[in-house]
Amino acid sequence: MSVQRPGPLTPRPYTFPRAYEHRTATGLRVIALPMPGRPLAAMQLLMRGGAATESATENGTAALLARLLTEGGPRHDAIRLVEAAELLGGTIGAEAGFEGVSVGSSLPVHRIAPMLDLIAEIAYEPSLPEREVDRLRALRLAQIEQAAASPRARANEAITAAIYDDAPYGRPIGGRRESVAAINRASLSARHAQLAKNPDPLFVIAGEFDPNEIFALIDASALARGVNGSGASTSPAAIPLTPDRPAAATTSDRPRVLLIDRPGSVQSELRIGRLGRSRLDAGFHAALVHSEIVGGLFGSRLNRVLREEKGYTYGAAAGFDFRRSRGPFLARTAVETSVTVPALVEARRQLSSPLSDAPSDEELDGARRYLIGTFPLRFGAAPPVAAAASGLTAIGLDLSELDRYRDAVAAVDRAAVVRVAEELEAESERIVVVGDAATVRAPLEAAGFTVEVQA
Amino acid sequence: MTASGGPAAQMRDERLANGLRLITLVDRTTPVAAVNIWYHVGSKDERPGRTGFAHLFEHLMFQGSENVTKAEHLSLLESIGGSANATTWLDRTNYFAVVPAEWVELVLWMEADRLRTLLVGLDQENLDNQRDVVKNEKRSSYDNQPYGGAYIELFEMAYPKGHPYHHPTIGSMDDLDAASLQDVRDFFSTWYAPNNAVLTVVGDIDEAVVRGAVERWFGPIAANPALPAHPDLTLAAPLAASRKTIRDRVPDPRLHVAFRLPPLSDPSLPAAEVACQILASGRGSRLHRRLVRDEQVAQDVSLDVLAFAGGASLAVGAATLRPGASAEQLEKSYGEELARLAAEGPTATEMERAVALIESEEMAKLGDPEELADEIGGYATLLNDPGRALREVEIYRAVTAEQVRDAARAFAPEHRVTLWYEPDGEASA
Repeated sequence: MSVQRPGPLTPRPYTFPRAYEHRTATGLRVIALPMPGRPLAAMQLLMRGGAATESATENGTAALLARLLTEGGPRHDAIRLVEAAELLGGTIGAEAGFEGVSVGSSLPVHRIAPMLDLIAEIAYEPSLPEREVDRLRALRLAQIEQAAASPRARANEAITAAIYDDAPYGRPIGGRRESVAAINRASLSARHAQLAKNPDPLFVIAGEFDPNEIFALIDASALARGVNGSGASTSPAAIPLTPDRPAAATTSDRPRVLLIDRPGSVQSELRIGRLGRSRLDAGFHAALVHSEIVGGLFGSRLNRVLREEKGYTYGAAAGFDFRRSRGPFLARTAVETSVTVPALVEARRQLSSPLSDAPSDEELDGARRYLIGTFPLRFGAAPPVAAAASGLTAIGLDLSELDRYRDAVAAVDRAAVVRVAEELEAESERIVVVGDAATVRAPLEAAGFTVEVQA
Repeated sequence: MTASGGPAAQMRDERLANGLRLITLVDRTTPVAAVNIWYHVGSKDERPGRTGFAHLFEHLMFQGSENVTKAEHLSLLESIGGSANATTWLDRTNYFAVVPAEWVELVLWMEADRLRTLLVGLDQENLDNQRDVVKNEKRSSYDNQPYGGAYIELFEMAYPKGHPYHHPTIGSMDDLDAASLQDVRDFFSTWYAPNNAVLTVVGDIDEAVVRGAVERWFGPIAANPALPAHPDLTLAAPLAASRKTIRDRVPDPRLHVAFRLPPLSDPSLPAAEVACQILASGRGSRLHRRLVRDEQVAQDVSLDVLAFAGGASLAVGAATLRPGASAEQLEKSYGEELARLAAEGPTATEMERAVALIESEEMAKLGDPEELADEIGGYATLLNDPGRALREVEIYRAVTAEQVRDAARAFAPEHRVTLWYEPDGEASA
């Protein structure tokens, strides 16, 4: 290999769009991020109090409410709403997350004024028509059955439930059969009233504009009316988001596997999970580097061995899901049924490997450079910029986090990555397999796993 | 577009002496560069007994060449802060990367290295490994998913046996097993030649630097003077109606339909795309309003255009039955809405909404160097018209209501493929 590979030209500087802040007379906090050259704007209004504030019996209420918001308000029913949005060349949608319910849109920036009023109408004054409540609840129940038939969705739901017991992070945001079946117009209406009075609503917008012009438009729009931004109201009820149990040593002689039987499956869906980290924890950037090395990059340890060496799978990945409280660390893959046991053994070995085989300079360098180099790639369009700004602000982080991101990643060293691996290893391990129990149960037991089969 | 953002001005389109087509477009909005290569070879070019081979070959392109070791291709791109992938479809195989702009020459060098010397890195172990990976891809994406085989069935019903679009790009397990090292060598030396490729570079680039690098790394690669013609895609007869029911492990019955449409080059295809948008895109579309909202017989609806180079493109649609609803009613209502559009045409407001949405989609595309490079490469490869990627918005704006009405006539029941999935072990829905 005598050929000299081409090196880099002079790098061009990149900075995350600068954020400008404003507060309307009614107290709505507004963050505007100008992006020259991006005439397609993205925006979202976040009302605080999402799925993380739900009890088990309320599970799925915020998600169904979000779906009901686009059924319209006093001036636009569902059809008039979507027609009005489309005539502007825009989308309008609502979504529930753990932190809140958001109403968002993407459209050409010169047409945003009427869209601000549409967003306000459905966010502040949704009609919640009885007929559509019944229709959309039935649709959600049908979607739950659809998901149950998908081995991928089934495995994802089972592993988070196994990690979190019955804490909110362990439940699907869309709800479960029993909780969804009990939702009615009264409970949705109560949920909406609660969202509307929670403090600190937030509006984020990104695109090619002058922020002062945007602030003036917002002040003149319905968004700046009828919102309670005073901060004087009650906060969402504090519900513990993570399981109430001590961290346990995981090196059990007979690790437990929850085996969900799907007779005739030609692949086994494997999930290995532990309680992960909060986005607010120190060491966030070290955890990112750890994830890339272990299961993020194409050349990660997990994918390299399971796919490129063994050919067990089309792909294997692992990583942290960072939230306000401690989100999960999950490894995911689907492997041919006949190699279920060796793939599971190998995946567990690779996930723990940084403890015995610390990352090499090459691995550290590759992961850091990947995270640093892809940063501008992630933020080329307005929607991811608005989403990142909204997501960080929602959990109380300052947007200067994004400015210091690349320096912080560059400063991550080997010791910090090993520390992440050690802390992870101290959490209880959970394993889920969705596959053909008749074929894979006995080999799992023979390999030393304690197997619990679920139909 | 008159918007201030996106690619400013001129697309450059040139050819190297060896036939490689190089297209460059400067967009300085963000400091990234997208590098995209379309090879004009897809599953339509596979020979009998070797279905799935074009796609398996695509995987082998990541297994190393003279100066890049096994699986290093993607790791190297990741380590410079880039990402990359490839896809195979009926008419093409495309390879694409997006990287920080300063690294553009490294990507060009890597693409040239594998085009020049792929076979140096090839061995039985790599072939067997990637065969296993692809078989697991087929299991993950098709065999182990509810309704996962629907597209395979629809293509087999929509194109006659022996037609190059009849068989699935993912191939069959038997054919994947049969693929040999000699097949790989033959396929590479036949199709992977500079005169069968379009290289597109979009982003914050210096065109002279890119051209110089392309000359340096691709220039010495020999053309294939014996590049074969692609198979004849002509369809002798119009599609006759056909129907099939598959009993499988699915939670609810689902209707799938397919219709033939004109090929990509036909000026009437954009009108068919607008027709599909009016019928099935979003909550305000005709099928959604009638089937999901008003009659409540469906959980979801879709109707999309899959554009192909020759013979016929396809419109493929689906609707999942709502539990307890009537499958007959679902199928009847679905068909009636298509017939109504063909009889009455769209309303003025529907046309206005469709165009406004398409304008926004075009705006998003022009702001995304990766997507734009891929579309330029596609139009250059299949239509010899790379500039169409920048003219699309005018093409859609020019579509009339009458053209949409006429295009919807393709959705006639006498030319429809109908496929039902039904839960096994249960009475027919």
